[in-house]
Amino acid sequence: MKNKVLMGLVAVAMVAVLSSCGKKPQAEIDAANAAIEAAKTAEAPVYVAAEFAAVQDSLNAVMADITAQESKLFKKFGPAKAKLTSIVTLANTVATNAATKKEEVKAETTTLLTGITTVIEENGKLIPKLPRGKEGAAVIEQIKADVATVDAAVVEAQGLFDKGSYMDALNKIKAAKEKADGLNAEVKEVLTKARIKF
Amino acid sequence: MRRLKKVWRRTFWFIGFTAFAAVAVILLVRFAPKPPDHKVALARIALSEATANKADTYSRNLFREARALYDSAMVNWQLENKRFLYFRDYGKVENFADLCARKARQAAKVSKNNVTDLNIFLKQKIDKLNTIVNQIDERYSAYPLSAETWKNISRGKMLLKEAEVAYNKGDYSLSKTKIADSEILLTESFEFATNHLKEYFNSFPVWKKWAERTISESRQNNSYSIIIDKYSRKCLIYHAGVKKYEYHVELGKNWVGDKKVKGDKKTPEGMYRITRKFGSNKTKYHKALLIDYPNSNDLQELRNEIARGVLPKNSKPGNLIEIHGDGGRGIDWTEGCIALTNSEMDVVFRIAGEGTPVTIVGSMVNLDQLID
Repeated sequence: MKNKVLMGLVAVAMVAVLSSCGKKPQAEIDAANAAIEAAKTAEAPVYVAAEFAAVQDSLNAVMADITAQESKLFKKFGPAKAKLTSIVTLANTVATNAATKKEEVKAETTTLLTGITTVIEENGKLIPKLPRGKEGAAVIEQIKADVATVDAAVVEAQGLFDKGSYMDALNKIKAAKEKADGLNAEVKEVLTKARIKF
Repeated sequence: MRRLKKVWRRTFWFIGFTAFAAVAVILLVRFAPKPPDHKVALARIALSEATANKADTYSRNLFREARALYDSAMVNWQLENKRFLYFRDYGKVENFADLCARKARQAAKVSKNNVTDLNIFLKQKIDKLNTIVNQIDERYSAYPLSAETWKNISRGKMLLKEAEVAYNKGDYSLSKTKIADSEILLTESFEFATNHLKEYFNSFPVWKKWAERTISESRQNNSYSIIIDKYSRKCLIYHAGVKKYEYHVELGKNWVGDKKVKGDKKTPEGMYRITRKFGSNKTKYHKALLIDYPNSNDLQELRNEIARGVLPKNSKPGNLIEIHGDGGRGIDWTEGCIALTNSEMDVVFRIAGEGTPVTIVGSMVNLDQLID
């Protein structure tokens, strides 16, 4: 009787072995997904797109590996678990890098916004010095149009900056700064030709 | 003996059962359907490559299809995993994975081609628009276009700059959008300005005739004649039919077209003569040469325009058009006069006398030559 019970237990153990040898690492999967979401929230796809794509790709690979293990009789989730843990670390690094890059872009945009404000202020002082009574002159019309365009671009860039879209703001302000500098040089050239001190 | 027999029987049964179980497991593993991990891995790699080639931006539809096929493969795989090992069928999963890999490779290829084509296309567009910008700057920087046109040109130039910034960063999609907006503004403004200029140059045959008569008179009388070329901003002084001096001039703020009425800030066009000379103590513009504007032709033209209802009945032709000093300011600033630098004015003042012909034309050169 004792031996029959023993054999029964062995059979049950074997069935258990046959049906499943490991458990899907759900907690690790959730942690990896959460870390990737956090990286997304940190705007990693905008500021460190390649790094983000790589970590996303790694997660896809691990998920495929987990599904593959689920297909097997003898499941082995150990390597997948380890990979998921490293993905969490990687995603956190990507999020940190995105934040750093975002700060860099923010700083660059701030510098350009400050720089362009200085140029616009200088232009504002120089333009009234242009030869008097030239309101209808083509050059003045162009300068006026350029001033309005630069002003509009700065307002737009500032709006994007305030919304936290630093990359878009940077792209806009770069072009506006170039234009404002060109305008400054043009006004100075007109003043120099007209022998007006500035 | 009986006890030993019993032990042997039990051992036999135990070994037999274990062997049976082992064989069953081996058979199960051996003949169970193989999971499609290799094909799915190939699909995933193809998708990664497509992403690296920016297929999600430059071959969006194919990439989306590939992505959806990969998701279908994974979902089906997970569904199959829920069935008993022996009854699983991964055929569908493999099909989805194969299709995904094919689509993803296609997306990567199309994206690569699109990026290359777009790169070339955008470069050409940027170069073309920069050429238009240069032509606008060369031909129209001193041309009195409307404030609205200048606004459009300015916005077009700014958008072009933004397109160049995006292009240099490799953001071709954004660059393309900016270029499309810039192109509309710049080409429309350029066409408008070109048509305006062409219309102005319709008078070229008349200008040519005036200039030839003026030079001919200078040759016949062995005397000085002055021709003002408004478009090229030149004061050309001929003696005995030969050009002796060439100076840069500044004109009325609204210099395009013939002067019609007082206050239109245009420099008149026609054949005139110097009527009076003003030395430095008689003018605020260093020295001045008054011309006989409006002459009988100008007055007749004014009457005709009033009669046609083009101008109001009380329109006055204006007067006091001079060649004077105080120029060299780099822009058109006079009310309709012609300004020279003081040193150049000294020369003109010295050689010109009352009665010296002053012919003012839109251009001495036809538009085709100018554009060339």
